[in-house]
Amino acid sequence: MTDQAFASGVDAEVQEDLACALLSKHFGEFAAVDGVSFSIPRGAFFSILGPSGCGKTTLLRMLAGFQQPDSGDILIKGSSVLHTPPNKRPVNMVFQHLALFPTMSVAQNIAYGLKRKGVPKREHASLIDEVLAKVQLPGYGDKRIDQLSGGQKQRVAIARCLVLNPAVLLLDEPLGALDLKLREQMKIELKRLQREFNTTFVYITHDQSEAMVMSDQVAVMNKGRFEQVGTPQELYYQPKTAFVASFVGDSNQYAGTVQAQSGQVVTIVTEHGVRLLSYGSQPMPSGSPVTLFIRPEVMQISTSQPVTEQDNCLKVTILRMLFDGAHSQVQVETAERVVLTVALPQTADFQALEAGRSVYVSWQASQCLCFPVSPEPAEAAQ
Amino acid sequence: MSGEPGNVNRTQYRLGFWLLLAPIVLWLSLLIILPHIDMVLVSLRERIASRQYGFSLSNYTAFFTEPLYWNTFVRTAVMSVIATLLTLIIAFPVSFYIAKVLTGRPKIALFILCLIPFWVSELVRTYGWMILLRETGLISGALQWFGLADQPVEMLYNDVAIMVGLIYTSMLFMVVPLVTTLDSLDNSLIEAGYDLGGSSLHVMKSIVIPHAMPGIMSGCIVVFMLTLGNYLTPTLLGGKDSLWFTEQIYTQFITRFNWEQGAAFGILLLVLSSLIVWLGLKITKQSFTRVMS
Repeated sequence: MTDQAFASGVDAEVQEDLACALLSKHFGEFAAVDGVSFSIPRGAFFSILGPSGCGKTTLLRMLAGFQQPDSGDILIKGSSVLHTPPNKRPVNMVFQHLALFPTMSVAQNIAYGLKRKGVPKREHASLIDEVLAKVQLPGYGDKRIDQLSGGQKQRVAIARCLVLNPAVLLLDEPLGALDLKLREQMKIELKRLQREFNTTFVYITHDQSEAMVMSDQVAVMNKGRFEQVGTPQELYYQPKTAFVASFVGDSNQYAGTVQAQSGQVVTIVTEHGVRLLSYGSQPMPSGSPVTLFIRPEVMQISTSQPVTEQDNCLKVTILRMLFDGAHSQVQVETAERVVLTVALPQTADFQALEAGRSVYVSWQASQCLCFPVSPEPAEAAQ
Repeated sequence: MSGEPGNVNRTQYRLGFWLLLAPIVLWLSLLIILPHIDMVLVSLRERIASRQYGFSLSNYTAFFTEPLYWNTFVRTAVMSVIATLLTLIIAFPVSFYIAKVLTGRPKIALFILCLIPFWVSELVRTYGWMILLRETGLISGALQWFGLADQPVEMLYNDVAIMVGLIYTSMLFMVVPLVTTLDSLDNSLIEAGYDLGGSSLHVMKSIVIPHAMPGIMSGCIVVFMLTLGNYLTPTLLGGKDSLWFTEQIYTQFITRFNWEQGAAFGILLLVLSSLIVWLGLKITKQSFTRVMS
């Protein structure tokens, strides 16, 4: 095969396509990437999720070779690429605005990399046809770039990289420019392509839904550091920090103080004076400030007092109904003026609900989380 | 009457259209088209007796039979093409540096530095070069002072001096369109070029230059026209032997008072410049409308 031009001296034991060790990059005083270490198993879909300005683009550009880290190491298939220029690295990148060459046709765009890699010209046509078929654009080779729709450009940008069989494909928020419907389709399409090519994808995004739907592993990044790395389920159900809890998924967030802790159940009094039970994994002394997170879908609405014993049960008044099909929610308010957003199942039981009615919301302590407020108060501000 | 407003509006619209068009039509017809028609007519006549003229092609045959005219013509064309290409070769890296490497304040500063010489008249700028290059000039003096020459060196009045002057005069007209087109090149295209395995040379050849081609061509056309029609620089820096075709036209009109011959030369120069521009566009597969937009 001809695709081994990059992959020299591959160690059969190395199971990671990409690994970083204590990678740092500073711009003046500002630490864009601050001691990040991770490794990605072969063929995984790895997402880096974070708000804008968290350093994820800088991290990706260091992986591609457009920026040099101040310290740390980048290993691709087990060997350091720190001194390898971007055009020699076995990684390819799908740019945020795709960066397809407008002066070339689709086929010429794909052939560009093949030529540079020294693939014999007679093989180009079949390789291009093959990759275009895989991205479901057969026969598009002669089209000009400006004749393509947004989704088609996306596929060409991916085909242009994957035809080179890179060890790692880097994607820099490529779905950002698409409209919602197309974005939903492309999420599934990207996942399918990743399976089909069996290439390691590193995907950066600020959109948690993109990261959750597509990824095997997600790293949540904040202020240049990885807050938590895990499967989407782990991040959603077992966030390790307040930042992850607030950034991944929707939550009702309340500030409060610890009243007592017995085992992993913490009794919290919120700033409004509501007493609630919550799960807390770390020891928290009484009187210490905490942030409490309750997901909208863990709370149950009932028109009468629940029969079964619930850890938390509040009598509330409906403020407004937020209809959004399957994602419908209802905003309720307690006597203490604490506003909660509760998921509203679209079943017949709740058809009759309307603003102003009194209902009960209840949930178990094990279904909500609290974290001690960290010394840096800005942390939970997200 | 109620059905009329549409018509009134339309008449007003048409009137406005013609009023807006009037200056350009006047300018074109009075200053460009009429003089050129007159030039063609003048070039096609011959003086038979005092104040008596007849139709003749003799002005054109004189051009083709007299080797001096013909040689000057070809020489002017070749020198202009060379000057244009050299200007491009010098201006491209400068423009690339301004457009793609620098950002913020240094970028503006360097761009203005390219512009500043043009605040001075071309005549003064050319005299500046004469001060540097003449026998008693700065460079000659410096060479003697360093002991590299044992007598004054005359660097004026040769083709190199003409070329230096022409390139210097033309730089800005090449830099401006190049910086504009290179500025519009998305940096991520260059990065993608590297990312897909291209070396600097490949990225330049297959991404930067194709993108900049309209700018390159528009810069080249402007510089070529300016150079071909330049009178001052070849005359001052090249002396009386500079053999620039505009000088021949000047001589015919002013010295010889042979307007018929001068007009024929003028028309020939127009044909030549149009032909070379057309050829340049054909070779590079660019369209005139795209280059000029």
